[in-house]
Amino acid sequence: MSKVMQVMEEKFMPIAGRIGSQRHLVAIRDGFIMIMPLIIVGSLAVLINNFPSEAFQNFMIGLFGEQWKSVGGNIWNGSFAILGLLVAASISYKLASSYEVDGLSAALISVASLIILTPVTKDWGISYEWTGAQGLFVAVIMALVVTELFRVLIKSKLTINMPEGVPEGVVKSFKALLPAMIILILVGLLQALLTVLGNTSLHQIVFESIQKPLQSLSNSLPTAIIIAFLNHLLWFFGLHGTNIIEPFMESMYLPLIEKNQSLFAAGTSAFDVPYIVTKPFFDSYVYIGGSGATLSLILAIFIVVKSAHYRSIAKLSSPAGLFNINEPVLFGLPIVLNPVMFIPFILVPIVLTITSYFAISLGFVPKTVAMIPWSTPPFISGYLVSGGSWLGVVLQIINFTIATLIYLPFIKAADFVQMKNLNKVG
Amino acid sequence: MKIILVCSAGMSTSMLVQKMRKAAESKGVAATIDATSEADLGNHLDSTNVILIGPQVRYLASKIKTKAEPHGIQVDIINPMYYGTMNGEKVLEQAQGLLEG
Repeated sequence: MSKVMQVMEEKFMPIAGRIGSQRHLVAIRDGFIMIMPLIIVGSLAVLINNFPSEAFQNFMIGLFGEQWKSVGGNIWNGSFAILGLLVAASISYKLASSYEVDGLSAALISVASLIILTPVTKDWGISYEWTGAQGLFVAVIMALVVTELFRVLIKSKLTINMPEGVPEGVVKSFKALLPAMIILILVGLLQALLTVLGNTSLHQIVFESIQKPLQSLSNSLPTAIIIAFLNHLLWFFGLHGTNIIEPFMESMYLPLIEKNQSLFAAGTSAFDVPYIVTKPFFDSYVYIGGSGATLSLILAIFIVVKSAHYRSIAKLSSPAGLFNINEPVLFGLPIVLNPVMFIPFILVPIVLTITSYFAISLGFVPKTVAMIPWSTPPFISGYLVSGGSWLGVVLQIINFTIATLIYLPFIKAADFVQMKNLNKVG
Repeated sequence: MKIILVCSAGMSTSMLVQKMRKAAESKGVAATIDATSEADLGNHLDSTNVILIGPQVRYLASKIKTKAEPHGIQVDIINPMYYGTMNGEKVLEQAQGLLEG
């Protein structure tokens, strides 16, 4: 065991670390984090519009008239529905800033490029079909490529330099002029070529060939198990697993929750929307109290453990644990690199992924239709992500109980060892 | 002395910050202590003396060091056990040690 762990620590963890600090992946992750407030507001707007309580619906209609839902719909149009545009700007900004070139210029050029590539409707409108999650892959790739081009160009000699004494704002805008021109011409050419040659758009091509196949793969149980496993393996070695896999999670799973949500907004029941596995699926049903469902571990400690150290860690960790923040348990207990805790810490999330998947796929519990902050406390989160269903809370309680039962024997064993060592010292 | 703690979202380190502030107060150490996310670190480089990194994002250490060391900022990874037990006093000592050493 210790030999395996040593090999992992020496060979696998540095790779994970490199992924976690890779410039483009970090820019993607931070870009998604930047737009999260808008996404969550858009999501809550839909949730309120479709809140499954007749009394509430009647109350709102009585108060504001039949049109009350248009406010939420408008918010959705300005947030979730333009997800691709938003994230192209934020990723571009973050990537450019990491190179210490002008982030805002890069972001503006990225948005412009993305719009060039986005199909136009018959009455000369930007097609909402592609500005949202369906165009997410193109948005992310576009932001990276355009920003790289921008960086190379702006650091080259192909810029217009102003004489001294010209205000900085003017200098900046002129400096970005030639790079912007070159990039937009290239993107415009690409779009023209696609139209002439195939009467298609980059969006169409990327969606059909990459995004769609990946989406159905993402929604499968094996993929969900692999994600849960990888996340917890990383955490076991003390690395921020959720953080490291975040760029992949968001790119793969945001389109799924968007689809669920837009159908839910259009009146489909949360049971009948298509996707089972989403980010809220993991956040609410698997990571109860943080990675490893450690809120259950805390309960298990209060039930059976005598050691003062474990009990004090459990006490210290409970308040933050209610908001799914669990570093104190992970590092303080510790779970990190603790051979006794390895099995339950990996096993619990996998089991919870399986129970949640089947509870939803067999139609006992509605699918997830809302994106809420990952720090939303358990039991409230289950109610919200399921579109306001108590069944979501029931699933969380069942999962919480299962996790506690799995942790009990292991923490008892760890406690036994701890007490024995103490007695020896004593 | 200005100390900045960094983790992925700045959430778990903000718990430790409170403990460190208390420790600093009871010891009579004049220190400004804050937590931030890695993404926002760039806005905090001015006038900071020490950056302490949460062990779960220790893979960022070399990147943060190259950014911070030109500013004369000391960078270190928080001892995992002190971090887990939220031992504000020990982590404050770690920061002080960096400045003296």
